[in-house]
Amino acid sequence: MKFSLNGLYIESYTKCANCGVLIYEASAEDAARKKTHDGQTYCSQECVDWKIERDARHAEAAH
Amino acid sequence: MDFVTMNILESSMVSLCKEMGIVLMKTSYSTIFNEALDFTCGLADMNGDMMAVADYCPAQIGGMPLLIKSCLKEIPIGEIEEGDVILHNDPYRGGLHTPEHTFFKPIFVDGEIMGFAVAIGHIAEVGGMAPGGFCGEATEIFQEGIRIPPVKIKKNGKDNVEVWKLLLANVRTPRVNYGDLRALIAAVDLGEKQMTQIYRKYGKEKIKETVNDLLLYSERRMRAELEAIPDGIYAFSDKIESDGIDAERTYTINVEVHKRGGEIIIDYHGSSPQASGPINATLGVATSAAYNAVLHMTDPTIPRNSGCFRPIRVMAPPGSIVNVDFPAPEVGGNTETHPRIVGTILGAMAPAVPDRVMAAEGATHCNFVFGGVDAETKEFFACYDLEAVGWGGRAFADGNDGVDSINGNCRITPVEVYETRFPWRIESLAFNVDAGGAGQYRGGVGYTKQMLCLNDEIICSQMTDRHLLAPWGLNGGTEGGVGATLVMKAGHNAWQTMREAYGKASTSRYSNVSIRRGDRVRLVTPGGGGYGDPARRDPAAIAEDVREGYVSKEAALKHYGYQEA
Repeated sequence: MKFSLNGLYIESYTKCANCGVLIYEASAEDAARKKTHDGQTYCSQECVDWKIERDARHAEAAH
Repeated sequence: MDFVTMNILESSMVSLCKEMGIVLMKTSYSTIFNEALDFTCGLADMNGDMMAVADYCPAQIGGMPLLIKSCLKEIPIGEIEEGDVILHNDPYRGGLHTPEHTFFKPIFVDGEIMGFAVAIGHIAEVGGMAPGGFCGEATEIFQEGIRIPPVKIKKNGKDNVEVWKLLLANVRTPRVNYGDLRALIAAVDLGEKQMTQIYRKYGKEKIKETVNDLLLYSERRMRAELEAIPDGIYAFSDKIESDGIDAERTYTINVEVHKRGGEIIIDYHGSSPQASGPINATLGVATSAAYNAVLHMTDPTIPRNSGCFRPIRVMAPPGSIVNVDFPAPEVGGNTETHPRIVGTILGAMAPAVPDRVMAAEGATHCNFVFGGVDAETKEFFACYDLEAVGWGGRAFADGNDGVDSINGNCRITPVEVYETRFPWRIESLAFNVDAGGAGQYRGGVGYTKQMLCLNDEIICSQMTDRHLLAPWGLNGGTEGGVGATLVMKAGHNAWQTMREAYGKASTSRYSNVSIRRGDRVRLVTPGGGGYGDPARRDPAAIAEDVREGYVSKEAALKHYGYQEA
């Protein structure tokens, strides 16, 4: 989530593509944890792994 | 762990939270507070973890941790002063829905911030396109009332007058809202005052240490409960019948519950993209609903605090019906979609814990909201009226009859109060016959409330569900009865749906219908699904149902083969 320079309003919302939590641009903790995978932003490596596992499991179930 | 001190402290904090709620109930103006008790009070530590909550509204209990943590992301601890009161309702940054106003007040001891007293309450009128806050046809947040980012409504003990003016200029009932907002502040004032005394009595370090132990204790007990449930991936899905805009479309709530040892992960991927209408849940709602479901499946004696939430994780895809993106509408997500999420999780877990779940409940608060100018007082009135439903049958008992849906725990406003406060006459209020699904344990029944309009005009809106898709039965039980909202205009003798009478897209979600003097409205609330094979129902229970009027002789014969002796 990105605030305007004056801090009075939100310019954009960024959510983890897996778990959906807000990722705050100004948060050092959030910045340190966040990952990009296949062009999408995730709050952590754990969520990237979860997404990959889910996709693999669903692909296997579809066969 | 010092269990004696921990137990005393936990009981003291829970009692304080309950007392905060009583203050709120007794000092508020709206029936949604002083009769329905649609609020929750709690105490948080300085990290935003809940130390204790009172058992008022489960939707708000589960929403508290994310709400406070979201606020603390925007207002750093260092900028919070003694006597401040922070207000917040923004659905897109931790909130539940626009009517849900959260107040928290810092607890300072010797100049050091120790935690927060918290009160969340459903403000009945929040502006927006329809009186009463539930606009069944809203297509964006701006139609759903005023949106409040974390702001200080009191600074250093003094009212922030500019914020008050802004708030009260944007609602239809400023006098009543002022009273309700003051009541919420009174609750956090009490919590802050008495918790400060508790800190002084035991000492800051002792409280910190004991609270850490308490949260760890709750976490361990919750993990032990979860470990006793067989590991696996449990899946289930359910459908919501309409969003108020596209009445023919249904929306899927999909859950995969991953039970792994002492933790549980609720993954909502596969749920529908967010709807155009106001049935979308926020992340706070999706999280709270997951907590609610797990609390219903586990030992109710585990102390309710953030410790028991630690083993629960939620995966709510953005832009979906369980995690709405700005600026889509969301007011029904907290009241309608929340119980449907809980039901979906319970449905998923039925194979693992069949004795701890129930068939589907009515899963709506009916949310009949209205407002207008009182013909006698000339003052604008508004009401958020919630109604009760039947709950699902369980492995050991029938479903509850006429109880608020699973995330509310609210009371129904008594007829006498309703008629005193608002220009309606309640002509009848009676349980529905044959509305509980058949089963070894039948579903609870909903009821029908018939009202006569006594004002020149009352503007009515509604956000409800289950007019088309009945509550499902479980393990051989049958579906519960559906709900309905009907109107009979003055001088007519036929009941019509809102679609028939006013051309609304949906019968269950609509806005700004003009009900005139002499018109009648009938609210029929859904029942709950049955549990287990009806053939296994105790004949004495069937006879009692027939005798008491819950089940007709015809339905008893059809479902149970009952013949009167």
